[in-house]
Amino acid sequence: MIIPPLGGLGTPLSASQAPSLAQGAQGAQPSEAGGVAAGEAGGFGGELTEAISSLEKTQDSASSASQALATGNVSDPESAVVTVEDAQLAMEMAGQIRTKATEAVQSIFNTQV
Amino acid sequence: MGLFDAIGIAGSGLTAERIRMDVTAENLANADTTKAANGQPYQRQEVELEQVGSSDFSSALGGAMQQAGAGAPPGGVKVSGIVADATPDQQVYDPGNPEADAQGYVKLPNISTVTEMTDLISESQTYQSDVTAMQTSKSMFTATLGLLK
Repeated sequence: MIIPPLGGLGTPLSASQAPSLAQGAQGAQPSEAGGVAAGEAGGFGGELTEAISSLEKTQDSASSASQALATGNVSDPESAVVTVEDAQLAMEMAGQIRTKATEAVQSIFNTQV
Repeated sequence: MGLFDAIGIAGSGLTAERIRMDVTAENLANADTTKAANGQPYQRQEVELEQVGSSDFSSALGGAMQQAGAGAPPGGVKVSGIVADATPDQQVYDPGNPEADAQGYVKLPNISTVTEMTDLISESQTYQSDVTAMQTSKSMFTATLGLLK
């Protein structure tokens, strides 16, 4: 699951998808709060929300950097490249972790009873 | 130390080398300029590079507060300033030149084209090695992610 961070050139990813993802994670937080301390520092829900919002931030800055590069507003192309690389690698890692988590859930679902 | 620090550090090297390249191009373009902004011959410009986080007090303290022997974390390079080369101007005997003084000498900039060209080579090679460092750190990280597959 690699989302190209150059989305800023065409359709910005962050505007449509990423916020709903972050809100989904935040929405899940209160319902979980009864069982585990989700909102507290170190809680799984809090960690997840933080990770997703920082991921969204890198995607946001990557799309604004690539937009500035495309419109010729940027005076420092290297930093734009670094921002886009950061976003791509962060998204790649998040994708891998998501795949791993999905695999774990699948293996639980497939348990023979 | 962040996860992608190496990429940022290599990026700072790219920026610094690009600025050095800009200044060298300016020097080459003005190698024969007899009238700069102040009316004097153009003076050769040089770029001063500085290690990021090396000079300010807080980073020095932070480095010292860590274990003995451990320096401040790497932060890359930055251009601390562009300064004029203080070498005296060249004096060339050319009485026919409209810029010549009473003795027939013309003051030309303190620029040697050969020096600028060798600077250009060194800049382009440093840029290239920064690009390689960035690519390598990226492929290292991608290989680590491959372990999850």
